[in-house]
Formats: sequence, C-alpha cells, structure tokens
Amino acid sequence: MSDSHEQLLKQYLSEKAKAATTADLEGLRVKYLGKKGEVTELLKGLGKLSIEERKAAGAAINDLKTQIQSSLEESMRELALKEQEARLSAEKPDHSLPGTWPTAGSLHPVVQVAKEVADIFLSMGFFMAEGPEIEDEYYNFEALNVPSHHPARDMQDTFYLESGQVLRTQTSPVQIRTMEALQPPLKMIGLGKVFRKDSDITHSPMFNQMEGLVVGENISMADLKGTLVMFVENMFGKRPYRFRPSFFPFTEPSAEMDIQCIFCEGKGCKVCKGTGWMEVLGCGMVNPKVFEAVKYDTEKYTGFAFGMGIDRIAMLRYGINDIRLLFSSDVRFLRQF
Amino acid sequence: MKVLLSWLKDYIDINETPERIADALNMSGLEVEEIIQPGKNLNNVVVGKILSRDPHPDAEKLSLCSVDVNRGQPLQIVCGANNMKAGDKVPVALIGARLPSGFEISKAKIRGIESSGMMCSKRELGISEEHGGLYILDENAEIGQNIVNALSLDDVIFEISITPNRGDALSHLGIARELSAIFNLPLHRDPLGDEDGEGHVAEQVTVEIQDKDLCPRYGARLVHNVKVGPSPDWLKERLEKAGIRSINNVVDVTNYIMLDIGHPMHAFDYAKLAGKKIVVRPAGKDERIATLDNAERSLDSSMLVIADAEKPVAVAGVMGGLHSSVTDDTTSVLLEAAFFDPTSVRKTSKRLALMSDSSYRFERGTNIDNVPIALNEAARLLKQIAGGNPVKGIADAYPKPEVLRQIKVRTRRVNRVIGINLSPVQIETLLLRLKLDTRRDGEDLIVSVPPYRHDLSIEADIIEEVARMYGYNNIPTTLPAITSVLQLPTPLQKMEKRLRDHFVSCGFNEIMTYSFIPAAIDECFREKKPLMLQNPLSEDLSAMRTSLKWGMFDALKRNILNDEFNLRLFEIGKAFHPAAGGLSEEHSRLCIGFSGSADPKDWRRSAETFDLFSVKGLIQNIADLLKVKVRYAPGSCSVFHPAVQMELMVGKIPAGEFGQLHPNLLDNKKMPKCIFIAEIDLDKLATAIEDAGRMKPIPELPAVRRDLALLAPTAVAHRDILKILTTEGKQLLEDCYLFDVYQGKGIPENCRSLAFALSFRDPKKTLTDEEIQPMISRMVSRLDSELAVKLR
Ligand SMILES: [Zn+2]
Repeated sequence: MSDSHEQLLKQYLSEKAKAATTADLEGLRVKYLGKKGEVTELLKGLGKLSIEERKAAGAAINDLKTQIQSSLEESMRELALKEQEARLSAEKPDHSLPGTWPTAGSLHPVVQVAKEVADIFLSMGFFMAEGPEIEDEYYNFEALNVPSHHPARDMQDTFYLESGQVLRTQTSPVQIRTMEALQPPLKMIGLGKVFRKDSDITHSPMFNQMEGLVVGENISMADLKGTLVMFVENMFGKRPYRFRPSFFPFTEPSAEMDIQCIFCEGKGCKVCKGTGWMEVLGCGMVNPKVFEAVKYDTEKYTGFAFGMGIDRIAMLRYGINDIRLLFSSDVRFLRQF
Repeated sequence: MKVLLSWLKDYIDINETPERIADALNMSGLEVEEIIQPGKNLNNVVVGKILSRDPHPDAEKLSLCSVDVNRGQPLQIVCGANNMKAGDKVPVALIGARLPSGFEISKAKIRGIESSGMMCSKRELGISEEHGGLYILDENAEIGQNIVNALSLDDVIFEISITPNRGDALSHLGIARELSAIFNLPLHRDPLGDEDGEGHVAEQVTVEIQDKDLCPRYGARLVHNVKVGPSPDWLKERLEKAGIRSINNVVDVTNYIMLDIGHPMHAFDYAKLAGKKIVVRPAGKDERIATLDNAERSLDSSMLVIADAEKPVAVAGVMGGLHSSVTDDTTSVLLEAAFFDPTSVRKTSKRLALMSDSSYRFERGTNIDNVPIALNEAARLLKQIAGGNPVKGIADAYPKPEVLRQIKVRTRRVNRVIGINLSPVQIETLLLRLKLDTRRDGEDLIVSVPPYRHDLSIEADIIEEVARMYGYNNIPTTLPAITSVLQLPTPLQKMEKRLRDHFVSCGFNEIMTYSFIPAAIDECFREKKPLMLQNPLSEDLSAMRTSLKWGMFDALKRNILNDEFNLRLFEIGKAFHPAAGGLSEEHSRLCIGFSGSADPKDWRRSAETFDLFSVKGLIQNIADLLKVKVRYAPGSCSVFHPAVQMELMVGKIPAGEFGQLHPNLLDNKKMPKCIFIAEIDLDKLATAIEDAGRMKPIPELPAVRRDLALLAPTAVAHRDILKILTTEGKQLLEDCYLFDVYQGKGIPENCRSLAFALSFRDPKKTLTDEEIQPMISRMVSRLDSELAVKLR
C-alpha cells in the first residue's frame, strides 16, 4: 500500500472514530466512496496510468475501498443498533400506572362454599338435585316422619303461606322428591335456600342447606361414617372428628358430626365455646318410615342422609361474625371474596 | 334443663369429674350445653350478721351497716339495698373477694365513708337472676362460714338440651338412668312413700274419666291438715339451682316430683272442689277458666279439662285453674298425677298459646307407671315438711292398663344397618344396660319397651339404642359399594354455573337477597299479586317476591347510601307466582343491576357511564355465550323510564326486560339518574338453547371492504338503515356493522352521522370494484329516496 493510500486510510479511521451517529457515517461514505468521493477520485485517476501500473494500482485502491466499505458497514450496524435502543427506551411509559382491564367481580361467599362442598361429593359420584322453595307440608314434614302435632315440629319454626303451603324448613324434601322419581341405587346431594322463623346474629330467616342421600342394598352406618369423614377431611383437612347420637325424625339412628375446632385446634376458644369441637353436620340412617312414604322396599334397601348449613360453614371459613351480612348485598362485604 | 350432680347422686354413685360426665352425656345424645359450678368462683364470701343499720350521713338511699363476719372487729359496710335489718344474716364478700361477674372487692370510700366489703344479692353470687335486694340467709347460718359451704354451692349444674324424642330424660331420674347405662353403674334410691294414711280416699273423692283415649290414667291422693308455708332450705335450694322459683311447700313438692322423676303433678285446694269430685272430660263449647297465670281463657270441645262437679278446675296437662289453686289458707290438698295423651296436650297448649313445664313433659310422653309413685312420694313429702296427714289409698282411675310394647329385633338387620358384627348375646347385653328386657327368638330378640321410652316403637329405634351403647365412634368407616344412577346437570343448572362465572369475569358482585320482601313496595315492582306469609317475622319480610327487581333496587340503593356509586351486581334466584288451586309457581331469574361508571378504575375512560347500550350489549353477550337467539322489542315495564327500556324476546315469548330506573323511583338525592336494572327469565332461556351446529369453512378468497358515512335525520332508526343495506347487499354482504355515531359540530341540526363498515365476499371468485359499485349505488339511492339519508 502506498503512502498516500495509507494516509487516506488513517484519515478515514480518525474521522470514523469521531462519528457518533449513523448520519455521520453516511457523510463519511459520501466523502470517501461517493461519486465524488476521495477513493472514487483515486479510481478515476487510474486512467492516466499505463496498463501495467494500472493493474497494480487498481488492486491497491480496490483493496482500500473494500477496507473502508466493510469498516463503514460494521460501524453502521453497531450505531444503528445503539440508536434503536436509545429510540425504544425513550418510548418507555410510566410502568407504575395501573392496568385498565375491568376489575373482576365476586361470587357470593355462600355460593363459593357450596361449590366447594358440592365438588367433593360430585367427585364421589353423587349427583345434584333441586326442589322448590315453597313446599307442601307433606314433603317438608309428613313424608319425613314429622306428623303434625309432633314436638319435633318445634325444632323448626315454620313460615306458612296463606295457601297452607310452607317455606321449606330444610332441603330434605328434595330427598323425597328424588326418591319418588328414581329407584336405587342412588347418591344425591341437594342444595338450596331454606327458611325458619328466627333472626339474630347467628340465625337468618333464610339460609342455605346442603343435603345428601345415599340409598342402596346394604348401605350401613359405617358407610355413612366413611363418606362423611372423607368429605370433612377434604373440606377442613385431616383432623379429629366424632359422631354424637342425636335426633332427627327422618333418620334412625341419628347423629351429629363434630370436628376438632379449626380455630383453636381443640384447645377451646370462643367459637367452640371452650369445647374444642365444632358441629358441622347432622346425619343418620334413613328411617324406614321415610322409605315407606316413597314406596321403597324397606327390607331390601337401607340408606343414609346428611345435611349441613352452608352459611355456617362459610362463616367459619371466612370468620364472618354476623350471618345477616351474607344477605346485606353490601359491596364492601362482597368485594372481599 | 338444669340437672344437679348432688341430686343425681340420690340415684347413682358416680365419682367422675363434671367434664367426664358431660362428655359421656354428649356422646350419648344428651347435649350438655353448659357446666355451671356456682361455688367455683366464690372465694372470700362468708356469712355475716348485720349488727346495726344506720342511714348514710350524706346519701339518703345508702345505709351504713356494721357486720360481724367472725373475723375480729365487725366490718363497716356501705350498702344500697333496702331489704335488711339489724339481726339479718347475709352473704358478705370480704376485701379481695372476686364475684362471678368478675367484680373484685376492694376497700372503697362511698360518698366519703369507708366500706370494707360488700353484702350480696343472689344475683351477685351468681346463683339466681333474683336481685330484689340482699340475700337474707337462714337465721341459723353460722357466722363467718364460707358461703359455698353454707349454701351448699359446691355443686355442679349441667344445662342439658334434650331432643324432643327423649321425654324420658326430662328428670334427674332420667339422666341418672342414662348415666347408669353409660357407666354401667347400678341405679338405686331411698325408700319411697306408700299408700298408708288415715281414713279412705274412696269415701272422700271420686275420679271419673270420660275420655279414656285422651286420659288413660288419672290418680288422686288427698292430704289433710297441711300447713301451707315456706319450704325447707334443702327443697328451696334444689329447686332454685334447677331454675324453679320456690312458691310454697305444696307447690314446691309437686315441682320437686316433676324434676325428680319427670312426672308433672298438680295440687288442688280440696275445699274448693265442688262435689268432691274429679271428672276428666272435654271442655264444653263455651266454657271458660281463669288459669294460674291470671289469664281468662276460652275453652273448646277439642280440649281436655279436669272438672269438679260443676266447672273446669284445670286444663288437663297444661295448667291449673286459679279458683281451686292452693293458697295460704288451704288445709286439705288433693294431689293429681295422670297420664294425658301427648298429642292432645300439645294441641291444647298450642291453641291456648300456653306452654308450661307440665305441658312440655306431657307432650313428650310421661311414664304411666309413675302415677302412684308420684302421688305417694308427694304425700310422704307433705307429711314430712308440711305436717300433712295423708288419707289412705289412691283414687286411681286406670281403666285399661297399658301392655308393654314388644319389638322384634333381628340380629342380622342390626349388624347390616350399623355395619358391625355383634352376636345376639352382645346385643342383649348392650340393651340390658338401658333396662330394655329382651327375650330370644332364635337368632333374633324380642325387646320389651319400658313405659317411659315413647321413642322406641320400631326395630330401627332399637338399632339406634344398640349403636349408642356400642358407641358411634367404635363403628368402622367404610365407603358405600354402590354406583348411583346417573343424573346429569340440567340445562338450567349448567346455564346458571356458566352465567355466574361469566358475570364474575365481567366485574359483577353476586348478591343473595331474601325470597320474602316487604308487603308495602311500589306497585310497579310487582308482576303478580304476591303470595303472602301467614306468619311473617315482620311486615318487611311478609310477601314472596314476584320478581327480583325490588331486591336489586333495594341493594343498589342501600349501597349508594353508603357512598358506593359504582355498582355492578347480579343475583340468580327464584321468583314466586300464584298458581292454580292456591298453589305456587317458581321461576328461575337472573337480575342485573348497574350504576355509575362502567369502569371507574380505568383512568382513561373512568368518566364513561353505563347506558342502555351497555346493558343491551351485555345481554346480547349472554345470549351469544349461551347460544340463544334473542330479539329486542319496545318495553313497557313501569319500573323503567318509559322511553329508555326494552323487552327481550326469545322467539315470540317475552323472556325479560331491561332499562333505566324510572325517575319517580329515585327517592333519595344521592341516587344518580342512570341506574339500570335487567331481569331475565332463565327457564325461558334454557328452553331456547341452540345446538352449536357444524363448522363453516374458512373463506379462501379475500373480502372487499367499504365504509359508508351517512347523514341521517335523527328520526331515522339504525334498524331501518341496516335493513336497506342488508337487503341490497344480498348474499354477497358478509358483514355490516355500525362503527360510529356522531352528532354535533359540522352536522346539521336534527341530523346525525352514522358510519357503517361493509364487507363483501363471494366464496367462488374474487370480487372486483365493478361488481360492488352498483350495489352500493342502489343502497345509497334507496337510503336517500326512502329515508332521506344522504351520503356524507
Ligand atoms: Zn375452638
């Protein structure tokens, strides 16, 4: 490479080092490789040389051109990238501004808990049945072995309509309607609103119950226990439980199921009134008189039934201290679930 | 029911801790709600004797007493009570004592005078609700003695809740019987009274039963020379601890027997019984009686009464009459013990709205064998504590002695129902603990039911007794070996689930309101005349809702009054309509309520409020989601603004309505103008769900798009323009939608600009401008000629 070429390359390199933008580089390209660029001028000067000289000098100039060209391309890539980075980062918005998709709403806490409870039984092969909220006395009482003028009617203070129909006091009529419609074997749950004439911070005149019924050949109290233990363990976690004898007209034997208090783990607290136990459901073996009412063969079939207050479970689950909040429609309450 | 441990010990030698006893009763089905130990929190309270009582120099309502508590110098105590005098003995809480209420006694100056202790009332000692002054103790109480000992407060009281089937457990004997079964301990008691006495009862009173079904047995015993007066302390204490007020020795004895063996009794003043005669008969049609509670009551022939020769003297099993009741002047007492039909007593008690400890027990069934026992024991007590002379014998009318019920119990059935494997002998042993005698019949048992166990009538009842005695918690746990018949969720159930999830995603909060609402609501919220409750809790909860709109309105309003203005609520529930034959119909409904900003937390669009079109859009959205074809028609629901509402149609059937709340319903200044409510009948939607159908092929050829900006008189409806566009577009117009509506600057008055996006496609060939242009021209010319709508 001749001295003059070397000089030119040096000059180019020092100018390129000062180039800060792709525009600067473009200027250099014009200055050296453009139509009137310095390297182009050199090439134009070749015509004055002899063929021999031209060959050697041409190769040298082309070499210089290639060097400058590839150097320019490389720098161009680098700077373009930098410039893009700078440009994009200038587009950065205030990331701390809140997102703007509509806020999600909420299912009613009782509906959420009912779904949780139902899902456990549905997974165990139960189906879901429903029934009317306004019932005939027959379905709410007589068919369930609660004759009129029986003290068991005191257990549930009933609302009567002017027609003499009642607002169901329990979801158990759903059992009767299901058994009238279907033959065993069956495993059903029923969910719905029930009504009793009672109102304070733990009682609402309307609340929600989940009912269950299993009927088949050789269904025993051991099956009742096994099924409900499985439910309770999935709902409340594995914890001590107990079954206490109780009384419901439509089951015999009847029981109440307690689990170890979920608040104090059995040590005794205000919620469990110091007993360490919490009642979660009532249950029992279906009274043969109920089977007689739906014309099931009492010798062939046995079964068990259970029922629980969903509102109460929701109150325990979420620490709700006044049942009336559930029916208040207060969004300050509802939005928490 | 309150049960005293000390009283139970009359029957059973039990040495378990109160907690263990309570636990055992719980596990046997008798729920112990509370264990009360009145003496447990009473320390440093002693018997004191008031030596002097003077008025407080600076407070006329207070007294200054000097009280001897047998601890050196008498104490000076300031006291606000008024029922004491010098010489009385009273409970004195010494300095440092802590009363059951948690109150701690310390030295105090009361209106300038030092007081070193406190004299107590029964309530302050926690032994009764009575607070009519200081508790004046028996004059023989030992000064300085700890009050717990002086009053035998070191007792345990169990508050037991007894299920309606266990009438047999409504007494100390009943509970002791249960404990004897649980702990396998013998049951015993001191010798009872007998029929001995002077003269003969048959000569002095006759008993006649006219209705043997309602009164299978009636017994009476006569006691002369009774001195009516206060009961001795032991009797008063037992009654009071059990929660019954002491009245006089005669009444107390009858109450005592009731709490002791569970048999309600009544005592008549023999002198006031006309004809010395007892007749058990239905009341006459217009008969009346003044009962012990000082109320005049009209009777009817469905009620059984106890009468003398002339008139009713008691409502059988419910309450005695005032006229024949025992007073201080009574000297001869006729005691009654009977067995009344439970249903009859219950009916009468309900009809008279009169409940008593007696009726409560008779309703649940008493022990017919206890009739003579109760009478003899009461006579013995009256002799002992009231100086009475019993007349020999019982006037016992028992026309048809009860035969013990026999129940056949099959060993196989017992084991099958409980899921265990007991031998007949094991079952017999368990039943014997409950005093249920059995007899073998091969592998099976015949069980004789004692007369007090009215809850045992079928095999299943005995199976429960076996299970109780075996211990519910000893029964194994297994899972049912059956597969249920299959019942899939109904379309309605599926739809409700889908809707709930959808609404939550769309930002709605689910509410649950009462199915009964006020009787007095604005008429416009009613779809039908509502079904009314006979016995509502209040007027506000007395009518079954005929629609969910009022509940939604109420919910929106109450939230708005709490300054919550941006609301999106929904409810899924039943509406109740009257049906033929006085019965009812239930309709599944969805109700939606909106108010305020559509999305208050979107800082770019927070000012946009809900309007009729947000509601319409949401409803279309649901219809698309559920695959139901809907139409909209003009609405006429009076809940809504007459012009800003629509009706939702499924085919030709109305299936709901929505609109802006009528301005007349905005009865509070806080309520914004734009509140929207929609209500949809889900039953109707569920019947119209369409099958998804088959997929359509993805188009291979491109579509041609055109926008049309139109200037339309405001009176021209979007629907009319759309109709022309779609008719002229024929099959080639694949899609056509409105994308802008503008009114204002640049647009003539009474006009608006509507911009439509049209998309044409021919599945067979690529369309050209030349093919589309004539179509557009026809659209434009028809719009102009028919609607005066111009191209902009
Ligand atoms: Zn607890």
